[in-house]
Amino acid sequence: MALGLTSVLNGNTAVMTLSGSLDAGTAPALTAEVQKAIAQNCSRVVFMANALEYVASAGLRVILFARQKLGKQGEIYMIAPQDEVLRTLERSGFDQAVIIRDSYEAAN
Amino acid sequence: MQRQSLSVPGKLTSLDRVAEYVESTAHRAGLNNEKTYNLRLAIDEIVTNIILYGYEQAKLEGTVELQTEISAEGLTMVVEDSAAAYNPADTPPPDLTSPFEERPMGGLGVFFAITGVDKFYYERVDNRNRNTFIIFKR
Repeated sequence: MALGLTSVLNGNTAVMTLSGSLDAGTAPALTAEVQKAIAQNCSRVVFMANALEYVASAGLRVILFARQKLGKQGEIYMIAPQDEVLRTLERSGFDQAVIIRDSYEAAN
Repeated sequence: MQRQSLSVPGKLTSLDRVAEYVESTAHRAGLNNEKTYNLRLAIDEIVTNIILYGYEQAKLEGTVELQTEISAEGLTMVVEDSAAAYNPADTPPPDLTSPFEERPMGGLGVFFAITGVDKFYYERVDNRNRNTFIIFKR
């Protein structure tokens, strides 16, 4: 139950496709990827989450880290999260830290 | 009454085995998807804290022991470690309201652990920490 992670930076947008488990063991890899994207002037992070099965508090800390590094102008999208992942965001209020959508069109 | 147990080294690489154990045990107990996820999250958060703070930060080595009793009503899962005494219920609750730009990160894991099950309690027994989680099928 490792984390699958692929990241594509296009202009100011980083699209990160996630699968598997985002826990204390795997969150550091995602933090590093977010850090790298922000260092390259990325202002929008899009997490493609439909294959993400599990998020622990360590994963929410990655979102909080991104939120704090991007500042108020930055945007974080969470695309098509599974029910239980969405519920984890909601239990902690983190559904308010991200823009949740069913799909993401690169052009919008 | 059925019993299941698991012992893993106190390392982050053990989290996958813990997750597999919790999910298969929850399945055997007949918990639904939501309760299974809540239990996995609760146990994962407490085991993560034991590993990161109880063992690694304190430069200690040890194991994490999980024991489960499955009953007709649900299950009782006990997590034990040999690190310094630490009662998760003493952790201050997380800040869930201030703006994300200023929000501190602490306390979320314990919040998920305690609010994700029907009963949680902590005991210090024979120089060990014992965290007990009870979850009912309905």
